[in-house]
Amino acid sequence: MKDVATLESSHSASPGHRATGGFSWIALWTLYTLTFRQHMHGRRWIVMGVLFLLPPGLAVLIRATAPDAPSIVTEFLLAFLLIPQALLPLIALVYASGIIQDEQEDQTLTYLLIRPIPRWAIYVVKLLATLTTTVLLTTIFTVLMYAAIYLGSEASFNTIVRRCSIAIAIHGLAVVAYCCLFGLIGLYTKRALIAGILYTAVIEGLLANLPFGLRFVTIIYYARIGAYRSMDFIFTRNGRDHNVAAETWQIDVKKDPELLDHPQLLTCVIVLAGASLVFAVIGALMCARREFHVKTPEGS
Amino acid sequence: MHSELPREVAGSPEVKPVVEFHKVSKWYGNVIGVNKLSIRIPAGVTGLLGPNGAGKSTLLQLATGQLFPSQGSVRVLGQEVWNNTAMNRLIGLCPEQDAFYEWMTGWDFIYTCARLGGLPRADAKDAAARTLDAVGMFKHKDRSVRGYSKGMRQRTKLAQALVHDPEVLFLDEPFTGTDPVARRDLMEIIRKLGAEGKSVLVSSHVLHEVHTLTPNIILLNRGRLVAEGQVREIRDLIDKHPHHIVLVCDEYRKLAGRVLTWDDVEGVRVLNRDKGLMVETRSPDKFYSRLPQLSLEDGLSIKEVYSDDDNLEAVFKYLVNK
Repeated sequence: MKDVATLESSHSASPGHRATGGFSWIALWTLYTLTFRQHMHGRRWIVMGVLFLLPPGLAVLIRATAPDAPSIVTEFLLAFLLIPQALLPLIALVYASGIIQDEQEDQTLTYLLIRPIPRWAIYVVKLLATLTTTVLLTTIFTVLMYAAIYLGSEASFNTIVRRCSIAIAIHGLAVVAYCCLFGLIGLYTKRALIAGILYTAVIEGLLANLPFGLRFVTIIYYARIGAYRSMDFIFTRNGRDHNVAAETWQIDVKKDPELLDHPQLLTCVIVLAGASLVFAVIGALMCARREFHVKTPEGS
Repeated sequence: MHSELPREVAGSPEVKPVVEFHKVSKWYGNVIGVNKLSIRIPAGVTGLLGPNGAGKSTLLQLATGQLFPSQGSVRVLGQEVWNNTAMNRLIGLCPEQDAFYEWMTGWDFIYTCARLGGLPRADAKDAAARTLDAVGMFKHKDRSVRGYSKGMRQRTKLAQALVHDPEVLFLDEPFTGTDPVARRDLMEIIRKLGAEGKSVLVSSHVLHEVHTLTPNIILLNRGRLVAEGQVREIRDLIDKHPHHIVLVCDEYRKLAGRVLTWDDVEGVRVLNRDKGLMVETRSPDKFYSRLPQLSLEDGLSIKEVYSDDDNLEAVFKYLVNK
């Protein structure tokens, strides 16, 4: 235990830190790394890792049991159906819906609210750390999956790298949009997980698969069109070309071979990035004005 | 009851208070957290007393800018605190909840809090080391917080409140669940902080704890200010209200008849099981002064005299149960 004199000397350690006003980049960076560490700690990322190992595992299984199956079909099923439809919303939901809520539930939010970090910045920085985490996990497992699908196949290395890079970019954009959306939902409701699952099932699952204008409000639609415009999903069987993406995604390439009824690639990117930005800004504005009630024992 | 006691320091309008609540109310839906609260807390150590649900934590959350007042204004060091990020460099809070980033070590937690407070890396390391040492936790710094005892956790919470060298400290029930040694040590630390010139507002629901630290107290109940000022002044206030004094005596029924003849006795309750009486009086000093004579003249052997109001705990209970 220190005496008074020692305590006094300890408190004079860093007089300079007060002079920089209310905003502290050190604090923001620390919050960023803290959130990243939180995400990478515990069982959550292990569970997500196991889930994301599913596509590479399935790719290996398909190649082992059906060696004649076209790689493009396997890639399409895993990289552009399973991952964007199920895994990306799931990882975004798990990590982003609790950006603030988890800290509130764990009663650790107080430690952030009493630091020189504006409320909106707490949300934005934690969201950025969440985006880093999810994009990183998505990238790693997408690369693994492409390796499982194409390594040792007839496809050239350059082709594999190109297709994998496009898939990573599209997955990245989609997961960012999902995170920003679910982060916002997490600020609105304590039942963000249920709301997110319902949203994923109804909006992204059902509406996006209907050939109507409603799919224009879904994230997955823009991810699909972006993918469709960036790479081909055509394979040949019995002398006939099959466009697996057009058939599955209800894109009528016979009537509209140039996809004039659908947005351009740049539009898809702008819509996804723009929507993410809008969701993030709304979330930040909500946090800037909001009180966060942290439970205290016995309601004292 | 709201007792406007003349505070020696805070009450003086010329002395700038460290913490000032002006007609502050805070509602959570239909529930009132604090109600039309106006207080001026001076520099130094001040105790914030009240039972669970009195509004102590709400007051501290308002004072640390975590909550926005539904009405009125809250100022710390002369500045509004809501959304005042710069203010967070000048204040420290030891929250009531026993919550940590459990996966961290004690060092990691305090160092992270120092960095969150905006300290550069080297300064944060120095501050973390010194603060952990100051609260007696340096030797446990590499252990996981998850494995800390309650006392160690309270010390660590205090360290995070101190690590950025705040001018004003808010400590929410810092002694809860601590063992006697930790309690003594924490009190010693708080006293030292006060001696250094820090302003400390300590909340507790145990009057004795606060009384040990400071004579300056604020009493809250159901979100309202019950009393504020020096303990002595509050004690004086209590003397205006009935005291309950227990007399233990074999001939307690005879004794009851005797004391009922005294004008200052407002009521007597027979305690058959304890062979005693509970006397209610508004003049405890006068009552006590008569007791020796009563024993001598009437031959009533009074075995024990004690008063629930004799200790500050009872005074507090009395006030908040009004």
